[in-house]
Amino acid sequence: MLCARMRRDVGLVLLLLLSAAVKCNSMSPPGKPVLLGCRSPEKETFTCWWEPGSDGGLPTTHRLFYERERLEGTHECPDYRSEGRNSCFFDKNYTSIWVDYCLTVVASNALGNATSDPFKMEVMEIVKPNAPENVTLLVEDREDSPCLHVKWERPHKIDTKSGWVTIKYELRVKQENSDQWKEYMSGKQTHISLYSVSPGVVYEVQVRCRLDHGFWSEWSNSTCVKIPNYLQTERPFWLLVSTLFAIPFLAAICILVMKRKRVKQCVLPPVPGPKIRGVDVQLLKSGRSEDVLNALIINQDFPLMVTWKDQIEDYLIVTENDEELLPHPSNSQKRKKSLIIPAGFCLDSEIQCKESTASQSDTEKAGERKNEKDNFLKSNTSLSGESSSNTVPPLLPTQKQQCPSLNLVNTEATDQSPSDHQNAVKPFANSSYVDIQRHVKQVDYSKVKEVNGDNILLLKKENVPLNSSGYMDDQRQENISEDYSRVKEVDSDNMVFLQKQNVSVDISCRDKSNHYTDCPPQKPRNPRVTGPNTERTESGYVDTVPAPPLM
Amino acid sequence: MPGNIRSVSVVWVLSVCLFCSRPTSVGAAPICANAQTGCHILSLANLFDRVIQHSARMHGVSNDLHSEFEQYFLPSKNQIGRVSRNCHTSDILTPNGKENAQRMAREELTEVILKLLVAWRDPLWHFHQSIAHHHDFNNFSSNKALEMSDMVHELRKGVQKVAEKMQMLGIISNSVSGLASHEASLPSGSAEWRLMKDYELLYCFRRDSNKVQNYLKILKCRIMPEHGC
Repeated sequence: MLCARMRRDVGLVLLLLLSAAVKCNSMSPPGKPVLLGCRSPEKETFTCWWEPGSDGGLPTTHRLFYERERLEGTHECPDYRSEGRNSCFFDKNYTSIWVDYCLTVVASNALGNATSDPFKMEVMEIVKPNAPENVTLLVEDREDSPCLHVKWERPHKIDTKSGWVTIKYELRVKQENSDQWKEYMSGKQTHISLYSVSPGVVYEVQVRCRLDHGFWSEWSNSTCVKIPNYLQTERPFWLLVSTLFAIPFLAAICILVMKRKRVKQCVLPPVPGPKIRGVDVQLLKSGRSEDVLNALIINQDFPLMVTWKDQIEDYLIVTENDEELLPHPSNSQKRKKSLIIPAGFCLDSEIQCKESTASQSDTEKAGERKNEKDNFLKSNTSLSGESSSNTVPPLLPTQKQQCPSLNLVNTEATDQSPSDHQNAVKPFANSSYVDIQRHVKQVDYSKVKEVNGDNILLLKKENVPLNSSGYMDDQRQENISEDYSRVKEVDSDNMVFLQKQNVSVDISCRDKSNHYTDCPPQKPRNPRVTGPNTERTESGYVDTVPAPPLM
Repeated sequence: MPGNIRSVSVVWVLSVCLFCSRPTSVGAAPICANAQTGCHILSLANLFDRVIQHSARMHGVSNDLHSEFEQYFLPSKNQIGRVSRNCHTSDILTPNGKENAQRMAREELTEVILKLLVAWRDPLWHFHQSIAHHHDFNNFSSNKALEMSDMVHELRKGVQKVAEKMQMLGIISNSVSGLASHEASLPSGSAEWRLMKDYELLYCFRRDSNKVQNYLKILKCRIMPEHGC
């Protein structure tokens, strides 16, 4: 019996001890709370948080007390609930900027209190706004490359209208797969456009902001967007176009290669070498000059010398009495010379020619030239278009001094020359060189001033200033075209009546009044108008009269 | 003739350009040297923008200097005496919140700004001097101090101009007293700043420069709400 009671007492005591022990463990004054920090999202209110210590097993309450610069006393937190547990929210009425706060949190329970360390702060230093809201992305399709427009909104409750705070934004972008963020400053704008985006990539965008010199907010939640892959659809198009162009191009090249000889002929035609008709290059190279010369002579087409003939005849007609006009007997040679000259190379050295012709015996010359002339005749008879007695001997391209030209037409002037020579000369073909034209000029045309008597024509002297006396020939030649005297009538024997052209003379007189002191009087001088050829002369110039009567 | 036409057209184009550009390009014109009332090349909005930018820069410099000092000196934040720290400008009544600032009259606000700026001219100058002679500080800090001191001076002149322009435009009444006389009537406690240490001075100035910046912005957005507010 005793043991049972003892056992019961011991049990009770043990129980009491246990309960006492249990009770002792939970009951203690609270642990010291810790103020974590405060934050003001818009510089008008702020919130502070703390961390409570151990509660000591008893219900513990926490209270926040603060002291403020320029405010007497200690005050308690106005709002414990708005921001959650263990927080204190100071609204506008309780918030003062530019003043210091000193905060403390007191934890208390039945057993005691615990006070945290004081926490000093100033609202200016704890400004940290919320992250920007409603970040939206928009992809714009442009021709060259796509462009990404990012837009967001200002965080809630921040007042920039009154100028109280100035907000600044910052943006960062990264591709989905990589880790590299690219940051962009946006300033005060709530939108930004990114142009360096590649198609077919997913981009992630985040935005944050800050007020004045405060802390940066947290990054907003990531917003993702994928740039569409439209560019790739254009590639096959270009591929098709390029192949279409390549095929005809290749075909053209093949054709060119296959027909390259023809192409070469077309593009680079061979340059023709010099070729004289009838002359063999080999012959020239062989060096036999006579053959070459023959070839040259035979194959040439000499132009017909019609005018030469005319001039000779005119010349002959006008100067009938060469004894009177040309007293010197050697003048016949001169005439010869003048006839000869155009035919040969004796251009520069007339005197030489004269000498040569005079020195050489005619017979010798005739003998030599006859052969050549015969040769020439044989070949040229077919060529001569007009049969006339006047022919011009060919040129021999050897020494100029030789002047192997033959005598030409000479009628009365060739009294001195042998007749056979003359005869031989006659049937020469009508051919000469172009140079003759020049010598035509040397035939003197004289202006007929007056017809004196029967058969004397007074040549008009031109009143040219004497300082150019040496060029009177030229003057005369120039004026030939103007001052031809029209032969009005040819008398039967040897008389020519010249017609005065009143009009032209007037003009010429007027124009050249400084040259001509006196114009010839304008009187028709045709006292006698007879003759059979009157009609013919009205046409103007003297026609070529075959077989001139003077001869 | 074509030469004449060309020169005439060039002259005409230039004159047109001048006429067109005159109303817009006001920013390039210099501020009037004399304080005469007839001189108003710059618009009020432009003037405000200038002083606000200036004050923002001033605050930035003071912020930088303060952080530098904190690294060197690391004052304990738990000093009890800190709560009742007295900046020498404490007796200038300044609005401590947005509503208070908005409720304050424009003239008062302008005066407060000017008072603050005036009060800081001498202390900053001496601060710069003391830093320049200290071997602990590098040239960077010394330059910043000098810059700060100059800026206060310039800003004060700028705000004075703004006030004059506002008075001229009739935005504020002429109750803003002759500002030149302010310097003579400094508060008696003005010598307190000599007792302050450098760090405290910086702390106080950082606060006051922020005040000036905020007050200017509020003033501007109150008078001209359409210009970037």
